[in-house]
Amino acid sequence: MKYVILGAGAAGITAARTLRKGRKEDSILIISTDDRVHSRCMLHKYLSHERDEKELNFVPEDFFCENNIEWMPGCTAVKLDTSSKELVLDNGQQISYDKLLIATGAESFIPPVGKLREASNVFGLRHLRDARAIDKKAEVSSKIAIIGSGLVGLDAACGLMEQGKQVTVIEMADQILPIQLDEKGAKEYQKRFENAGCRFYLGRKAQDTLCDEKGEVTRLLLDNGEEIPCDMVIVAAGVRPGTVGMDGEGIRIDRGIQVDKYLQTDVLGVYAAGDVTGLSGIWPNAMKQGETAALNMMGSEVAYTDTFAVKNTINFFGLASLCVGVIKPEEKDVVIAREDARNYKRILLRDGKVAGVLLQGDISHAGIWQYLIKNQIPIASIEKDIFELNFSDFYGIQENGEFVWKVS
Amino acid sequence: MRRIIIDASKCDGCKNCSLACMQAHRKDTGTLYDLNLLDTDNESRNFIYKNRTGGYTPIFCRHCDQPECVMSCMSGALTKDPESGHVCYDEKKCGSCFMCVMNCPYGVLKPDDKTGMHIIKCDFCKDAGGEPSCVKACPKEAIYIEEV
Amino acid sequence: MNQCFGCNTCASADKPLEGYIKNLSVETSHHRVEGQSTKCGFGLQGVCCRLCSNGPCRITPKAPRGICGATADTIVARNFLRAVAAGSGCYIHVVENTALNVKKTALAKGEIKGEKALERLSQIFGLKGKDKYETALKVADAVLADLYKPEYEKMELVKKMAYAPRYEKWEELGILPGGAKGEVFHGVVKCSTNLNSDPADMLTDCLKLGISTGIYGLTLTNLLNDVLLGEPELRMAPVGLRVIDPDYINIMITGHQHTIFVDLQERLTSPEAVAKAKAAGAKGFKLVGCTCVGQDLQLRGAHYQEVFDGHAGNNYTSEAVLATGGIDAVLSEFNCTLPGIEPICDKMMIKQICLDSVAKKANAEMKPFIFEEREQQSEEIIDKIVAAYKERRGKVEMNLFPEHGNDKTLTGVSEVSLKAFLGGNWKPLIDLIVSGDIKGIVGVVGCSNLTAGGHDVLTVDLTKELISRDILVLTAGCSSGGIENCGLMEPEAAKLAGPKLRAVCEKLGIPPVLNFGPCLAIGRLEIVATELAEAIGIDIPQLPLALSAAQWLEEQALADGCFGLALGLPLHLGLPPFVTGSQLVTKVLTEDMKDLTGGQVIINGDGKESADILEKIIEEKRAGLHI
Repeated sequence: MKYVILGAGAAGITAARTLRKGRKEDSILIISTDDRVHSRCMLHKYLSHERDEKELNFVPEDFFCENNIEWMPGCTAVKLDTSSKELVLDNGQQISYDKLLIATGAESFIPPVGKLREASNVFGLRHLRDARAIDKKAEVSSKIAIIGSGLVGLDAACGLMEQGKQVTVIEMADQILPIQLDEKGAKEYQKRFENAGCRFYLGRKAQDTLCDEKGEVTRLLLDNGEEIPCDMVIVAAGVRPGTVGMDGEGIRIDRGIQVDKYLQTDVLGVYAAGDVTGLSGIWPNAMKQGETAALNMMGSEVAYTDTFAVKNTINFFGLASLCVGVIKPEEKDVVIAREDARNYKRILLRDGKVAGVLLQGDISHAGIWQYLIKNQIPIASIEKDIFELNFSDFYGIQENGEFVWKVS
Repeated sequence: MRRIIIDASKCDGCKNCSLACMQAHRKDTGTLYDLNLLDTDNESRNFIYKNRTGGYTPIFCRHCDQPECVMSCMSGALTKDPESGHVCYDEKKCGSCFMCVMNCPYGVLKPDDKTGMHIIKCDFCKDAGGEPSCVKACPKEAIYIEEV
Repeated sequence: MNQCFGCNTCASADKPLEGYIKNLSVETSHHRVEGQSTKCGFGLQGVCCRLCSNGPCRITPKAPRGICGATADTIVARNFLRAVAAGSGCYIHVVENTALNVKKTALAKGEIKGEKALERLSQIFGLKGKDKYETALKVADAVLADLYKPEYEKMELVKKMAYAPRYEKWEELGILPGGAKGEVFHGVVKCSTNLNSDPADMLTDCLKLGISTGIYGLTLTNLLNDVLLGEPELRMAPVGLRVIDPDYINIMITGHQHTIFVDLQERLTSPEAVAKAKAAGAKGFKLVGCTCVGQDLQLRGAHYQEVFDGHAGNNYTSEAVLATGGIDAVLSEFNCTLPGIEPICDKMMIKQICLDSVAKKANAEMKPFIFEEREQQSEEIIDKIVAAYKERRGKVEMNLFPEHGNDKTLTGVSEVSLKAFLGGNWKPLIDLIVSGDIKGIVGVVGCSNLTAGGHDVLTVDLTKELISRDILVLTAGCSSGGIENCGLMEPEAAKLAGPKLRAVCEKLGIPPVLNFGPCLAIGRLEIVATELAEAIGIDIPQLPLALSAAQWLEEQALADGCFGLALGLPLHLGLPPFVTGSQLVTKVLTEDMKDLTGGQVIINGDGKESADILEKIIEEKRAGLHI
């Protein structure tokens, strides 16, 4: 049996590891555009020069050798033929497979504004190759404009400020981190970024670009007419599933590659996992999907159930935040907030159950909140300050010593 | 694998396990007598909660069979050792994203208080002989080792 | 994020105070409860022994004895005796200093404000001098002579102070105390390493210490205070953080030894001192009451209207009092001066002066009170406080809370003022008890702690439950400070009482909870009990009366409690006094004591349940008296 995996990100690597664990003898091949295995969540540490390329690796150096996995780095599959079970690579090589996992991830989305898509000094921040390009360009840049103040945009801002760059962030929403935080929580980070020298334009859109003779953007034009001078632009305005070349016969693509609950595409033996499916865009879920797909490729019937993805953690300037579930309250929701000099905590209750939590400052022992929210655990009967809930309130233990949630 | 089994009904809340953990992982040398109880460098990796029925609930890392923390780690710092079964943590690799804190369904994990740059995690006292110090310190045998 | 230190403060019965503390930018005890919520179970049960280098030994099923062989019973009894001896030592220190101050005042022919009180003591003691000064000298000397007797010589005033049937009972049980200081000494020797291991014998010592603490440390301290400071008079007074007037130089006093302030409190209103205050930009000086010495000032407030602003709150309110920014100095002379005030004082530039080395605060100036130098000392203190005022005002942010508390708390209740109010004898009260209009009396006394439900939570819950059952509540100690700030000592609180008690209160215009002031005044409650028993012609245990130290905090409270047990009173505690690890000690305290002295310990942390138990006991006692 020959397993082929496209992509060496969270889903692809986890799938390969899972396959090897279950199939000692079968052949496993990973083909990846990336020439190095790297965690894209740590690219800002590369930009800040805190880590080098090697230190972005999230598997041991000898991972491929140790697990007897063949790896073709720097190769991209450009065509998929599902009837002959063959892939064509960008170097012309043809690769056959018995079972295929598409885990090609996603690509930065560059909006069609001015010359953003054409200019040579505009980058996304998604792959190590992006980070390399940014880092190189940063050598000759002092003013950097970042479009989007989500986690990627702020990661980039952090890394580049660390290098002494003048950073300006443009955000459409009235606050930074609009998906993750409420206004109050966002303000805490904004303050810290501003203290470090970052400038924000909130509630503003980039409407056009001004370019020089080299085809580089030198100014961003905002919707209120203001001009932001820049030597480089980083666009962090979301991603699109990396489906290029994957439109083989029978594969259904609707933004992402469509899969059933076993993560199999409409074509028998072809699976997809991670960002390319558009199911959810965060690391833990990509790993879970990689694992689930691999188990099913080996003949199990494991449904991917852990679809809950409205969750994130943030850590900038030593201030950690954890946000799970609903952030924006609707009518009838109850919001309980509490704050002191080092913490801001906010819980959103819907129908007597926790629907969202935002913790900023001390996030110790906060893992229970995801479980409470995801599983809709009723808590009304627990006579206790809600912020003091901990696992002792749901404590259960199994024969083998593992914990289990006990919910009355 | 070997796991620390918990009999919460026996726990008396004396926190000897926490002191033993602090002692086992202290960066300087010395005995329990001179363990600096005020230095946040000496954080305990196990936790005793007072529960609502008046008893105590020991919350210790379970080194889960299907560890959610490992499945959330984007730096490769958290791994499940195939031989010992323990969930290992490499502080140097850690990217301080704290996804694992969010993902541990039992709320065991936390960022460290000293630097806020890594996590506080049971290592089964691998550098202190591989026999958990907390277990040795419990006067009530509320925690003990079993092969599971 | 805001400026609050932390939002996980403990609950308080005083909701406005709870909100105020939650919003403070400084850390208080209320913030620290959460971090200390996991308690060592061995410590809670009293079965951790640290008496020798083999320890700490703890009792477990597999290790039922310490290395030395001590059982849980021995370890618990030793730990308990240690606590009682230490607690007794504290109160004996207070009465010793008080008697010394009376003596020195007499020798110096200083002011004796309470001539009636002196007359009363001289009658009880059977001593008379040629003038009031000589009488005061003889009275003080008699007290001191007893305190300084060795343990093997019985104290002489016990017989004169105690109710005769009780004295006989104590004699029969062999628990008449020797010299009070000697008893403390004997107690700590007894419970040291590998000495006494007999729980019953050690508990006997606890009762002895209880009697010396109660008669000397409590009752006589009150009466001697009355001599120098004037007797309590009924009046309405403001309480709570509202009493702090920022136009004045404000001094918070903490402790238990009121006689140390005699000279200073006079001098603070002298024209010279007021001139100094005015020169610094203030209208004058005010004392702000906090802890028991504040409660004592409040009790005698009728004599100190000018200098005393009112009582702000109890021990666990002191940090909040300082956090208002309105306090310029803290003068402390004894306990309930929390270490937690130190960083707050530093931050808010509040001058701290300690007048007794037993309560020296780490960052405070030590200025031990010397009677002979009192005038000069007062001047120096005034100058230092003026300097602190000038230094800090304008620089330190004010966070006053003028809405807190109330203006009409009935204070000044004592065994004398209450009897006078009733017409000079106890008959009206006895009639009300007999008729059932007042079902019984419970003294809700002692400290405040933060763990029995929160700050004053159990105390206030229990008090509300009791009055709703037509049981009159008398208070003494930090319980007073908590209950008064919650409004239960305003006459309007009568509406919270049961219909019969409410009618009585409304007729007399009094609240259903009567404020006897500081913890020392537990001695006054016991005089009330004694005089009631005497008037009816029964022994104290027969009275429909109980004590509750619902939120007892410290070792002193345990010594007080032992006096309650020696008197034969039911004694309720919200939290066990670290004895439950010994079945024997627990049984002696909660059951067997009934057959010995008539007293018993009741442990219950729930306000309603506790009130049920106390009500049942009162009803049984009423039945015993056929009423």
